[in-house]
Formats: sequence, C-alpha cells, structure tokens
Amino acid sequence: GSLIREKSYIWGSLNIQSFVDALTRQGITDIKVEDTEDGSIIDLPNDDTLIQVEGASTHIICNGEEIVRTKIRDTLLRCLQKL
Amino acid sequence: LVMRGNRLQIIDPSQALKEMGVEEHHLRFTSTISIEEEGPGNKVAEKIYQLVKRKLKDFSIHYSSDGSISISDSLLIQVSGDEDETKSVLVSWSHQDEDIGSFLLQLLREDPSLVQAV
Repeated sequence: GSLIREKSYIWGSLNIQSFVDALTRQGITDIKVEDTEDGSIIDLPNDDTLIQVEGASTHIICNGEEIVRTKIRDTLLRCLQKL
Repeated sequence: LVMRGNRLQIIDPSQALKEMGVEEHHLRFTSTISIEEEGPGNKVAEKIYQLVKRKLKDFSIHYSSDGSISISDSLLIQVSGDEDETKSVLVSWSHQDEDIGSFLLQLLREDPSLVQAV
C-alpha cells in the first residue's frame, strides 16, 4: 500500500492547566506536573509517558500503548490552534 | 494560499504562520520499543533500514554507520544494545510526519518478525 502524506500545522503555546484538565476528562488521571526552568514536564507514570513542554514546543515521549499516544496527541491538538 | 494585496500566492505554511504573526508549535513524538534480535546493534539497524526501504519506496532514507536511520524531514530510528538478545529501537518523528512515524512504530512493534526475516 502507499502512504498519503497530509501535513497539518499547529501554532501557539500550550496552556498546561487546560491540557491537564483535558487529559483528565479523557480518563488519564495519574498526572504529575513539574515546573522547569524553561517550561513544564508532565509525567503520566501509569501510561509510561513523559511530556516536555517548552514555549511553543512539545515533546511526547511515550513508551506505552499506541492507543494512549494517540489519545494524548488528539487531546493536545484540541488545546492548540491548527492551520 | 495567501492574499497579498490583490494577488493570490502559494507559500510554505510555516512562512504563512510567520506572516500571520504567530509562532508555529513544534510537536515531536518519541517511542522506544524492544525487539528480540541477536547480533550487533548496527546489524539489526541495517535490517530495519532494508525493511524501511522496502516499505517506503518514495521517501528519502539515509542510513548512518552508527546505526541511525533518518527518513523524510524529521523521522529518526536508532537502535541500541550490543550482542545481547534484546535491542531497544527508538522511533522519533515530528507531528508533520505523523503518518509515517506511526506507521513505522506500528510496523516494528506489531510484527518484529519482519525484521528477523530481512
């Protein structure tokens, strides 16, 4: 089969509290937020995931199940502006 | 497609965001999986490279001798682990390459025998 590449662009900064609330509504409740010098680290120990947020950049390090990663991705995308 | 004066012009989306005065949000994913495969890490990386080349025929794929594979603009695969049976395979990609990144992650995670069969 072939892959159809469809790119989307997102912009703006993430409101950590809104994102955490949105994750909670999605059933992810074990959430620890730590403030760092440049942003925040959101730890989801039950889901084997760390989310590093620095200004307009987010890194989702997910070693859990794919369904968890896509749930976090979709929740994050709903918290940002899309083009 | 943006309007400049009374002209329409096609520009790169990143450039369009800049012209709108907003900052593009950079989103990246990294996932690490384990593959049961004996032999040196760079040999396993080479097998994954051959597999990826077969699956993604129309993409620009580069293999480095340190065992890392880069695909398209943002995708990176890195194999670590020495002679032991289990290798850690890190797959990292940006949101813009989500389709390829998630495809490769699923491919390596769900059917590691594909790597063994290369």
